[in-house]
Amino acid sequence: MYNIFSLIFKYIFIIIIYMFILSIIRLIYLDIKGIDTYSKDNGVYLKLVNRKDSLPFKVKEYYPLVGQITLGRGNDNQIILKDPYISKKHLKIVEDEGKFYLEDLNSSNGTYVNGERIMDVVELKNGDRIRVGQVEFLYVNREQG
Amino acid sequence: MMLNKKVNYRMPRNLLVLFELMALLLLFIYDKENIDKFTLISVISLIFIIYISNFVLLRISTGDNYIFLIVTMLISIGVVMIYRIDSTLGMKQVIWIGMGILVFFITYLLIKRIKGWENWAKLYAIISIGLFIATLILGTKRKGSINWIQIGRFSFQPTEIIKILTIFIISAYYSNYEKYKEKKYGPYYLMGIIYIFIAFLFLQRDLGTVLIFYSVFLALQFIYEENRKLILFNILLFVISGIAGFFLFDHVRVRFEIWIDPWKYIDNKGYQITQSLFAIATGGFFGTGIGLGHPDFIPEVHTDFIFSAICEEMGIFTGIGIIMLFLILVYRGFKIAINQKDKFFRIVALGISILFGIQSFIIFGGVLKMIPLTGITIPFVSYGGSSMISSFIALGILQVASEELDVEEKRYGEGT
Repeated sequence: MYNIFSLIFKYIFIIIIYMFILSIIRLIYLDIKGIDTYSKDNGVYLKLVNRKDSLPFKVKEYYPLVGQITLGRGNDNQIILKDPYISKKHLKIVEDEGKFYLEDLNSSNGTYVNGERIMDVVELKNGDRIRVGQVEFLYVNREQG
Repeated sequence: MMLNKKVNYRMPRNLLVLFELMALLLLFIYDKENIDKFTLISVISLIFIIYISNFVLLRISTGDNYIFLIVTMLISIGVVMIYRIDSTLGMKQVIWIGMGILVFFITYLLIKRIKGWENWAKLYAIISIGLFIATLILGTKRKGSINWIQIGRFSFQPTEIIKILTIFIISAYYSNYEKYKEKKYGPYYLMGIIYIFIAFLFLQRDLGTVLIFYSVFLALQFIYEENRKLILFNILLFVISGIAGFFLFDHVRVRFEIWIDPWKYIDNKGYQITQSLFAIATGGFFGTGIGLGHPDFIPEVHTDFIFSAICEEMGIFTGIGIIMLFLILVYRGFKIAINQKDKFFRIVALGISILFGIQSFIIFGGVLKMIPLTGITIPFVSYGGSSMISSFIALGILQVASEELDVEEKRYGEGT
């Protein structure tokens, strides 16, 4: 009885251990990809201005911008920031013919670009500072120069 | 991207719990009658503690999230095997792991809160020498070397703590390198201290540890020393002391002879290593199954030879898995060191990674008869209280080093 179980379990144990290793390698791979390509590529991205460890929630140094991206506290956004000052769906950044447009989605605390609260859709320019809640991002678009 | 990441972090954590629960289930089938409430409660609470620690660490630490996960997997594999070999030792190990995790969090908080670790090189040296002298006076002899202190019912190995202190000394020295260089004989301070330690270890006849100390020291010196001649000199001295060890100590010579041809001494001196080789060969790719092999044929199987036992019952695939886990751990350590801006913690992270790497390399190589066997433990896998605690202290320090630390960049930014 025990022998049969033990024989089955040994295969399962090996499968679990290797799945564990693979999932960690995958996470590390994503981690490395997140650092290398977005910081060195000439792509379009948001760069965190705050010190990462000064914020009490998880935030990354770089967020690449492709297509349509929403930012907010809710889990269905592409950029999730668990900041109490950020609304569930806070803002939207849309790409249109190589240009990026920022739109506030009626958030309670607002979105600030270069210190001014935005009311309408705004076209982003390289070097713009975007502040949402406690977080401040730098908009980088090297193609625009 | 963020959503993707969130789902993925849960994956290895859940696999870990699955592994542990299945091992517990297997234990239930294996020996139903002998499991008492105490065993059950402590094992389940350990699984819970490991899960919660992984979860909490993701919240409180902005640094690396992988090293603790990897280590908890290594621990789980190790403790399953130790319990199978000897259930009392297994229970003790469960308690050691619980204490180890506690120590990990305490170390993490202490190292993070207290500033100025790089300025206390003298203190570390004094404590280390104190511990060495205490070992020589109070120490008891086991397996040919004096490296245990017995206090009441507890015994511990001071060298396990001194290992970490040594890394701190080296780091403190190289992060204040400019200051020491100006002093007379300044460049030789560190070497002097390290050779005092090595002399003490020779007196204790603990040559496996000499190898670890020397490797960590040489590796860090190789990276940071500006006077390159000094490195050549040290490597030369390393070779000389190796040869001296061979001629001075009987048990080194015996180990060497066994390594060259264990089959000649199979009925006495070579018994252990040949049994280990038999065990690994019996296991094959997938092993015999837990509880169905005979790892108890190998003497000292729960400490030095745990790797052979794992290979026998869980297969060489698990063995390779363990080696891969160590590889990832060391790789993460190096990555942490590269990202760290504070010079002291960068050298500490490097030192600790090298320590884990060297230690596992020496014992894996020894058990597989690729290098002469030296009796040291596999960090996190083998049975042993002091080794478990000191490994967790090292891991806690590594966890702190993985975070961005508040330092005046002007002071440490240069010379990077």
